Amino acid sequence: MKKITVIGAGTGGAIVANSLARNLKKEIQKGQVQVTVFDGAKYHEFQPAYLGVAFRGSNKNAIKRPIRSLLHPDVKLINENCSEINLANEFVVGEKPGQRIDFDYIVIALGCKPDPGQIPGLTEANLDFHTNAQASSIVYDRISKFKGGKIVTGITGLPYKCPPSPNESTFLLHEFFTKKGIRDRVKLSFITPYLRPYPAEPISEVIEPLYKERNIETVLGFNVDSVDPVKKKVFSVEGESVSYDELFLVPPHATPNVIRKAEFSDDEGWVVVDKRDLHVKNYDYAFAIGDNTNLPISKAGVEAHLEGIVVANNISAEIKGISERYLFTGRFQCTMETGFHKATFVVGTYQKPVKKIYPSFANYVKKKIMSKIYWNAELGKCEWLFKLNFGKDYYDVIRDGKTAAPAARAIPN
Amino acid sequence: MTTITVDSRGTACPGPITDLIRAYRKAANGDVIELLATDVGIKSDAKAWCDRTKNELVNITESDGTYKTVIKIVSKRENRDT
Repeated sequence: MKKITVIGAGTGGAIVANSLARNLKKEIQKGQVQVTVFDGAKYHEFQPAYLGVAFRGSNKNAIKRPIRSLLHPDVKLINENCSEINLANEFVVGEKPGQRIDFDYIVIALGCKPDPGQIPGLTEANLDFHTNAQASSIVYDRISKFKGGKIVTGITGLPYKCPPSPNESTFLLHEFFTKKGIRDRVKLSFITPYLRPYPAEPISEVIEPLYKERNIETVLGFNVDSVDPVKKKVFSVEGESVSYDELFLVPPHATPNVIRKAEFSDDEGWVVVDKRDLHVKNYDYAFAIGDNTNLPISKAGVEAHLEGIVVANNISAEIKGISERYLFTGRFQCTMETGFHKATFVVGTYQKPVKKIYPSFANYVKKKIMSKIYWNAELGKCEWLFKLNFGKDYYDVIRDGKTAAPAARAIPN
Repeated sequence: MTTITVDSRGTACPGPITDLIRAYRKAANGDVIELLATDVGIKSDAKAWCDRTKNELVNITESDGTYKTVIKIVSKRENRDT
């Protein structure tokens, strides 16, 4: 029996597990293949909806589903976290000591999460709309009671997931206080280590006028070093400071402990993968997808989804003896709400740089459609729509099987 | 003094400047960051970044389509005093 283990049941983990179950349905029914998912969480939250909970007061309970309900019936779920991932010896360990589970293939899809402890004072000072629905709802409680003063938003460290979210938080605060009729009593200030409001220049050129029109201050090239929660000041590594009354910064992100110091991760804890076939360096039977990789693209759900499709196909093809392999194109796609029912998209691939896309109601509707179909998409019921939308960027195909196929096993030196 | 080499070849904007900012976070005063990039935008970005953060742009050279930007880190405050 071929044992395939997927670590993590987030966006990427669920996609890859469900795709494997569909691709290998006959083999699973014959007892030749087993797909097992590890995840210690009970619920899966739709993370792009955190912004709505934090800045529009959306229902925090409406954006989550039980993990089991998002997995194909043929996928076995072990509802606990992994305490060890041993690629060289092909086993993982669950939460209970000695519970060793062997695998033939493994997909690491543990994501990353805010790690405010990297910035002294940030945990105490900051309200985080970026971690979970509960924390996001506290932000809405706070802004609902805000009478006036200075709110600072922005980026504290790199990388972080959902690159447009710091900008979106700022625009949605502008919308919230404008609708409330007290915008003139609220000063909004956006800080970023980049030299423009959005890292990619074409999108920055699109949104920069919005910052000016809306009287939102931008503090560029500001590298956050620490926060003083008593004096209510954010300090840069060069010694500059920005004062605040409320702080809604996106913290730096990190991978979970089980991979942060693993031998297959880089010095910052990101899993080192081939950017095309997504195998973990030195291990042709191990793959990593989504936010926990070192790929030089944005960390967001679309990327995890498309990477999951590639990896599921390639593992299935190897088991079935099919030569065709898929390669990830590097497609990224992030929606950026600019407020008042308009949005833009940040879109590109490894080969295609980001282009200007102006905010529109149509883009906003596309974002809303995605939030409606998300749960079915996780189950693989909307794959035709993704294929249609992404076109040639959905994946590349190689048919000779020589260049990027996860072929013979490579035991590390 | 440590020389930190960062390889951003093959990444488009904002890849190289992102890698520079990440390396800067780990660097100390006196360290040198050598950034390798194929995106020509790094030439103007690196100059602007050094002007803004008050670090020292040593030079930018080009060879076979690779831009090598050398920056000496000089502007970090030594002690936190919050």
